[in-house]
Amino acid sequence: MAELVLKAETGREIGTRESRRLRREGKVPAVVYGLSDDPLSVSVEWPLLRKAITTEAGLNALITLEIDGDRQLSIVKDLQRHPVRRDVIHVDFIRIDANVELEVEVPIQLVGESRELIAKSGMVDHMMHSLTVLSRPASIPTEFEVDISDLNVGDSIRVIDVVLPDGVRTEVDPEEAIASGVVTRSTLEEMRREEEAAEEAEAAEFVSGDDGDGDGEGEPEAGDGDD
Amino acid sequence: MLMPKKTKYRKQHRGRTRGNSKGQTSVSFGDYGIQALEPGWITARQIEAARIAMTRHIKRGGKVWINVFPDKPVTEKPAETRMGSGKGNPERWVAVVKPGRVMFELSYGEMDVAREAIDRAIQKLPIKCRFIEREEGF
Repeated sequence: MAELVLKAETGREIGTRESRRLRREGKVPAVVYGLSDDPLSVSVEWPLLRKAITTEAGLNALITLEIDGDRQLSIVKDLQRHPVRRDVIHVDFIRIDANVELEVEVPIQLVGESRELIAKSGMVDHMMHSLTVLSRPASIPTEFEVDISDLNVGDSIRVIDVVLPDGVRTEVDPEEAIASGVVTRSTLEEMRREEEAAEEAEAAEFVSGDDGDGDGEGEPEAGDGDD
Repeated sequence: MLMPKKTKYRKQHRGRTRGNSKGQTSVSFGDYGIQALEPGWITARQIEAARIAMTRHIKRGGKVWINVFPDKPVTEKPAETRMGSGKGNPERWVAVVKPGRVMFELSYGEMDVAREAIDRAIQKLPIKCRFIEREEGF
């Protein structure tokens, strides 16, 4: 897993106005806490932070914070984004010990295509998008790949089916579903609508076939009614 | 159409909408979503129209989540009525939406089809909205 060095400045003033001023200067307000040390309000440069959190490791990247000449291994614990602009407005870093297990969220990627499910107009309901695992910092996986090629309607892929690498464990219920094959209510509605349309078309064809000669008679009758 | 089963009071004040949405600002259940970019009231009819537009386009193999619920009654006075004589009658139900709120979510295999479905649903809504994708992580 990639290890990155990020310079953090201390001595920022706290509060909304000061934080906004920092953001205007291209910095992101942040806080560093953990390992029974006092929390520290810092600020980091946005371009450097962006570089640190957009590596292959994603948000679980190990970041070495350089604070006033002191280097501290840390990880992003929380990231606040603006609800509309989506830019990062605040970051929480947590100090970590390289030899102690920590809890992280690892994304789950579904791979493959279930042909049987598609043939039955079903879909993959992806319920769990990340798995909480306990691992030492050096062995945090980038992502878990789950193969859904054999998934059928009514089947589920559970936490127990995920192959965890050595040194990684999870306390999530092993029976909890990650993805399942379902036929949704809207699909059933659509199928019913199509069936009804087909039946109506068949009935209309049958009626028109029956009155094949009587078509000409029907029209004057309708005309009479209008008058 | 969506509406509460039972309410404590029949009529509500209109209220003011300030600030951005405090929660539900990212895609939580599906793969794509419709995010509000301005505040507004979304009526139960508009929610239903947007849902139908989306489901009709994706046809099969997709799932739609509606994250807003119209729980606010809106009253109207009958036409050609003189002012006074109290507040009008509840006529429709609306959901109050603030900027940033992800109102609908969609799960579908092909992104192009999902995008088109969402664009069609956006046409049914009275406020400016945008298509958003799921963000990994926080």
